[in-house]
Amino acid sequence: MDDAKGRGSQAVHIAAEEVQRFCEFLYRRTGMSFTEGKRYFIDRRLEDRIEATGSPSFQAYFSLLRADADHEIEHLINSFTVNETYFYREDHQLRCMTASLLGAIVSRKKPGGTVRIWSVPCSTGEEPYSIALWLMENWPEVDNYSIEIVGSDIDTRALKAAAEGIYGDRALMRLSRGVIERYFTPVGDGNHQIDEGLRNSIEFTRANLIDPRDMAQYRDFDLIFCRNVLIYFDDASRRQAAENLYDCLLPGGYICLGHSESMSRISPLFRVARFADAIVYQRPEADHG
Amino acid sequence: MDDIEAPPGKRVLVVDDSSLVRLYYRSALENAGFAVEQAINGIEAMEKVLSEPFDLVLVDVNMPRMDGFTFLRSLRSRAGDVATIPVLMISTESGGQDVAEARAAGANFYLVKPVAEAELVRHVRVLAGVVP
Repeated sequence: MDDAKGRGSQAVHIAAEEVQRFCEFLYRRTGMSFTEGKRYFIDRRLEDRIEATGSPSFQAYFSLLRADADHEIEHLINSFTVNETYFYREDHQLRCMTASLLGAIVSRKKPGGTVRIWSVPCSTGEEPYSIALWLMENWPEVDNYSIEIVGSDIDTRALKAAAEGIYGDRALMRLSRGVIERYFTPVGDGNHQIDEGLRNSIEFTRANLIDPRDMAQYRDFDLIFCRNVLIYFDDASRRQAAENLYDCLLPGGYICLGHSESMSRISPLFRVARFADAIVYQRPEADHG
Repeated sequence: MDDIEAPPGKRVLVVDDSSLVRLYYRSALENAGFAVEQAINGIEAMEKVLSEPFDLVLVDVNMPRMDGFTFLRSLRSRAGDVATIPVLMISTESGGQDVAEARAAGANFYLVKPVAEAELVRHVRVLAGVVP
């Protein structure tokens, strides 16, 4: 009954119970939870993967997926994560970072000390590069501390693009001409590659937010940007991710979520920290009990 | 900021272990018309100054493997013109001890982090001989 979208295409028919089995599998492996309302979104990607793998049916594809033949799980995850973003997105949080958060963070450090910032998920790099650019342009103390920026994502294809650092005009639309001229080089077709020094200053790694073993590698962050990903998780995964993120922060460290997200509804571990530019969440300085 | 550009060809070596800090200085200096090379510690800096001509070395005090003081003392003890390259030291230490040690090691000038872009460019212009 749902082949209105498949007009003239060779799309494999996927039954409702198959979509359900598929969603259960996806949830177990990634924590991403899709409801019936996202059916169109799921079908599109599933059809793409069925076609890309040359599978004759959903059943055939699902066997391949469960066997993880040719790293199909990774390809599937890559197709499900939404990678389009742009520089200086939600810049009120970047303003908050330089106007309020870093002052509080470095008050606990010696000059020359290390400030660790994590962008997760970092998608194709726009966010961690934005953090670095913003710091260089707006934080007078940028040379006073050793700043480590890590960008992580579950999507290895996005990470590869992040490390290459090539962006179209749309991604740069919020940047001033001056910033584009200083930190980007035109590489043809209206694309720009971000400065090599910037590319080298950020470490890109793969991380799965709901996998505690994965997350155990990430510790001692002063500030985490984790925007617009928890909305894809169900309650249990969201809570797991929040607890993992808590462990990744230093006491007193901050986490910035997307504008429509609220940590208060996810986990009681964090305290709400209200600043002029943004509301963020803080791991309390001293843990209770 | 004034907009006197450096004459083309004035070369500055930026030495700092943090890539973001190197980029910050490089971006400021290139914007002011300087050609900038980079090194991540004193050892790499020494290799560069011995193989290429520079008008100025901008060097951080605290670096792994070879710090700024060791680099500077070693540079000043070399034979030939390379020993006389102007050196601007940058440190996070605002106390008198680093300043005294920098002077004793042969630094031409000493700045304490954080260094504002305009201030950095002003001192680099003077030391690299762009303006008297």
